[in-house]
Amino acid sequence: MTSTVPPAIPPITGRVWLFGDNLNTDVIHPPQFFSLDEAKVKRGLFHGLDPDIQPGLLPGDILVGGRNFGCGSSRETSIRSLKLNGIGAIVAVDFARIFFRNCTNNGIPCLTPTDPGDLDLLRRHQVVEIDAGEGRMTSDTGDTIALDPPGQFVQRVWRAGGLLPLLPGPRAGREV
Amino acid sequence: MSGHGRTISDKIIDAHTVDGSEDALHREVYVDALLGHDATIALLVDEFERRGLEIWDRDRVIFTNDHFSPPATIERADISNKFLRFAREKNVTHLMLDRGICHQLLVESPLCAPGSLIVGADSHTVMGGGVGACATGMGSTDILYTLATGRTWMRRPETVRVRFHGALTPHCNGRDVILELLRLLGEAGAQYRSLEFHDLADPPLEQDDRFAISNMAVELGAKFGVFVPDRVTAAYCAERDGQPPSSLVVPDEDAHYERTVDVDLSALAPLIAKPWSPGNVVPVTEIERKPVSVAFLGSCSSGRITDIRDAAEEVKGRTIHPEVRFVVIPASVEVFKEALRAGYVATLTDAGASFNHSSCGPCGGIDKGVLGADDVCVSTSNRNFRGRMGHWESRTYLASARTVARAALAGHIGPELYDEGSPGS
Ligand code: SF4
Repeated sequence: MTSTVPPAIPPITGRVWLFGDNLNTDVIHPPQFFSLDEAKVKRGLFHGLDPDIQPGLLPGDILVGGRNFGCGSSRETSIRSLKLNGIGAIVAVDFARIFFRNCTNNGIPCLTPTDPGDLDLLRRHQVVEIDAGEGRMTSDTGDTIALDPPGQFVQRVWRAGGLLPLLPGPRAGREV
Repeated sequence: MSGHGRTISDKIIDAHTVDGSEDALHREVYVDALLGHDATIALLVDEFERRGLEIWDRDRVIFTNDHFSPPATIERADISNKFLRFAREKNVTHLMLDRGICHQLLVESPLCAPGSLIVGADSHTVMGGGVGACATGMGSTDILYTLATGRTWMRRPETVRVRFHGALTPHCNGRDVILELLRLLGEAGAQYRSLEFHDLADPPLEQDDRFAISNMAVELGAKFGVFVPDRVTAAYCAERDGQPPSSLVVPDEDAHYERTVDVDLSALAPLIAKPWSPGNVVPVTEIERKPVSVAFLGSCSSGRITDIRDAAEEVKGRTIHPEVRFVVIPASVEVFKEALRAGYVATLTDAGASFNHSSCGPCGGIDKGVLGADDVCVSTSNRNFRGRMGHWESRTYLASARTVARAALAGHIGPELYDEGSPGS
């Protein structure tokens, strides 16, 4: 929708946090932290699972999970919390549909490895760099993990910084 | 058997495509209706107003305050008021104050027509599939976009055909059917897929059973959980709308399916999902005996008149176990009124159950009935994720209304709930 040439997606560098299969949004962000208060939303990330995770996060950190990452509720407070805590990207074997859309819409890249077995190479807190556009993750120990190239539509949303910049103006909105 | 024809979701998406070629991965589609509730709509209000947007068609929007209804804390009252103020300022035609859970209100509305494409700011919007609509849940950002434009982007999903055969066994309902599918396919068994339900059972499944099945299609990861509309659908819509549906969108004879799953309903036994996954399903007759402290009949997944009927039938003339708190929440005020007229409310209340106002209640750990650390709950809700209904250490088992009522009487879950001579057998 924008006529300017979209900028490339900058590389994402951060430490790895490992999770298992079927990590649902109630565990990612327990319902009692649902709020419009950003501090409360931020604090709730993984609170039930391990209250020490959230205070230990650094901007750019990368979540790595197994199958069906983000299944469950559509509550976007889970994604707000990821953003408020500066999560740079999520790499998982596959993603639940609504979670994938929500992250993409908010500019958090969700990526899948070409070979799921490659994720076993990763260790907790190891530093990795992700080139989302190229579909590549490189670890500080020299491993390279191929990531599936994201579709054109998803890349367009990332480049725009999320879905809302693609929104037609108020006038166009009314004319639809 | 599986040809090149179109499935229901193919047809509905094609019919709603604004932009995008036949084979484009993502299509721009228009929607027929949008569903929203207090919690998720409140998240988008500021952004919507900051951008000076307007609602594309206020007659096609259904809003309800079901999560905080009525609110229990000051913070929630403020969130609720923010939502209500927005809905009133925008003159949303179908703003339903304290009328019940959004998904139930959607299927009680003529907007939820067979063949329609619906998005909702909540994952269980998929329940609209019970009447042959392609309905799906999204997050607040997607919903903001659709609220302003009437459009969204969609991928055309692969379809998995599920055929139901035989006659449903007397102690089972739609909840047992969907738990069986979860047992067969697992928590991601229909990820990104459209589940297309073909009801070949004789007699066909009741409409309420279909809602329970469609509701939990999302627990398998499905984007849609759509029943092939038939005479049950037509009869339901005719009674609801005062006229039969204008058309029924059905799949082509040679529709292309990724796979087909056949379920023999006459072989089904009552099922239960153990913590902490709705896919962790075993027959009730194989579950280890365990005392329960809370029995919950409610949520958008159940809480309909046939669920309340089954529970009333079980507890009639009996008394709930003294160590069990039995909370009943009709899915909507209409359901509650029907339960009152039928005498079910009196029967359940006499047995010791407590009725709460039609709302989400403890499902989602929101309202009265949430679980403490030591609580073990048997519930008709749709998710037993860890910490969802309350404390991280609490435990929730998912089952049908009948099983929940039996457990409430017995004070525990266990194989003997369905022994000869057990309550209600
Ligand atoms: S009843 Fe439970 S699952 Fe249904 S909308 Fe409310 S919180 Fe969500």
